[in-house]
Amino acid sequence: MTTGARRVGGYALGVLVFLAGLAVWQLWAGAANPFLVPTASEVAERAWDVWPTPDFLSEVGQSMKRYVVGFAIAAAIGIALGLLVGASHAARRTLDPLLECLRAVPAIAIVPAAFVILGAGDASRIVVIAFGLCFPILVNTAEGVRGIPLEVRDTASMLHVGRVERLARIYLPAALPSIMAGLRIAVSLGLVLVIVSEFRGETNGLGYYLKDQESRIDYPALYAGILFLGLLGYVLNRLFLVAERRLLAWHYGAAGE
Amino acid sequence: MSEPVLRVAGLEKRYSEEGPAALAGVTFDVVQGELLAIVGQSGGGKTTLLRLLCGLMRPTAGTVHLDGHLVSSPPREAAIVFQDYSRSLFPWLNVTRNVMFPLRREREPRSEKLGRVEGVLREVGLEGVGKKYPWQLSGGMQQRVAIARALVSRPEILLLDEPFASVDALTRAELQDLVLRLHQHEVKGVTIVHVTHDIDEAVYLADRVLVLSGTPGRIVASVDVPLPRPREQTETRSSPQFLSLRNELHGLIATREAVRSLAQ
Repeated sequence: MTTGARRVGGYALGVLVFLAGLAVWQLWAGAANPFLVPTASEVAERAWDVWPTPDFLSEVGQSMKRYVVGFAIAAAIGIALGLLVGASHAARRTLDPLLECLRAVPAIAIVPAAFVILGAGDASRIVVIAFGLCFPILVNTAEGVRGIPLEVRDTASMLHVGRVERLARIYLPAALPSIMAGLRIAVSLGLVLVIVSEFRGETNGLGYYLKDQESRIDYPALYAGILFLGLLGYVLNRLFLVAERRLLAWHYGAAGE
Repeated sequence: MSEPVLRVAGLEKRYSEEGPAALAGVTFDVVQGELLAIVGQSGGGKTTLLRLLCGLMRPTAGTVHLDGHLVSSPPREAAIVFQDYSRSLFPWLNVTRNVMFPLRREREPRSEKLGRVEGVLREVGLEGVGKKYPWQLSGGMQQRVAIARALVSRPEILLLDEPFASVDALTRAELQDLVLRLHQHEVKGVTIVHVTHDIDEAVYLADRVLVLSGTPGRIVASVDVPLPRPREQTETRSSPQFLSLRNELHGLIATREAVRSLAQ
């Protein structure tokens, strides 16, 4: 078989397994209690109706706004602190105990406290998301900086690169492969935290939508929401990979990939 | 003889206070325009010495003076080429941007900087590769880019740390001839300190060879190389004078090693 044919064969197999999964769902749901577990076709039909409605899209918009703002704050803080902790022994000694302690706290655990302090609006949810996403980014950034070879540091010294310039023009790009690995974790984790933070408070967002369908006992609509989140996560990951391939073209090239 | 550009006096380096010295009592001068080679075995303190010379490290005793100024941090007049070009070139910058990097603070129009970059790339035998990234070039070409970056700011002294140890033999010969050509023509007057473990390479390139040997590392011999220039790979290397010089240096290092192993 040629490489091209083999690749097509591989894709075909993937699609086949996917369809088999849907078939198992359809048959199992039909055999079990069809009220509690709607069939795949029922959910698909419902999704087709629900997804394009302005109400549903507005929930999506609310969730995405929190996700993007939380992600941006986490990236800014995580990368900045990560560069600092990775580059300076003094900063590391000073900040490590505090950061290690905060990092050990599961982000979900701060949800009630955030709502107590900030109320049930956007602020508390964004804080939860930013808090949770900040640490994987920070840790990966710091590790990336620590792994920069001595030759790179020596070269920077010989070229009289000052402290701030060194962080921005040498350490940031040199650690970028590692930083991107941290951001990739945050892309998926961010979705988890958006939904969890929206389970509380009678407001809006996809998390609220799921809870609302549960209390309305509208299970096909509930599953349509879950399906949408699955697709959203997939699309976000794909977009991130495209961005990563572009930003790190030099890295993948050098690694011979 | 002209004034020494580089004066090294009583240099000693210990990596910890009570630890053994990596170098001790290293003293030598380098005159302007000289091409000096320092040979020694791996782990013999060559890299330590070079890092001290260019101010990347402070000695525990002794001094390095460049142009009469004490070296305590990397001086503007010095540039270095490391062995590992894949790490010393910035992989996220293309060739032009890598070579232009040392000029980033100079206040001249970008077009002039680009002109200088093109000029220096031509000097090292690279043309039309400015838009490529280092990984798209062969090892020898990457090392040429590193040499171009070192030369673009017109340093007075060029330090070479085993610059050809990571390339194949044919490329190594080409790069050796490049260094000779640069030293003779394009950047005439530049002082070069070339650290290597390759005795033949040292004799082929240098005006003078220092032998760094022992634990701690010391300069145990200074051998002048009066071979005529221009030098040529086959002719120079097969001349009786070349052979007797390389044998003398081999002898110097071998005897030292014999004494060292007897003492242990």
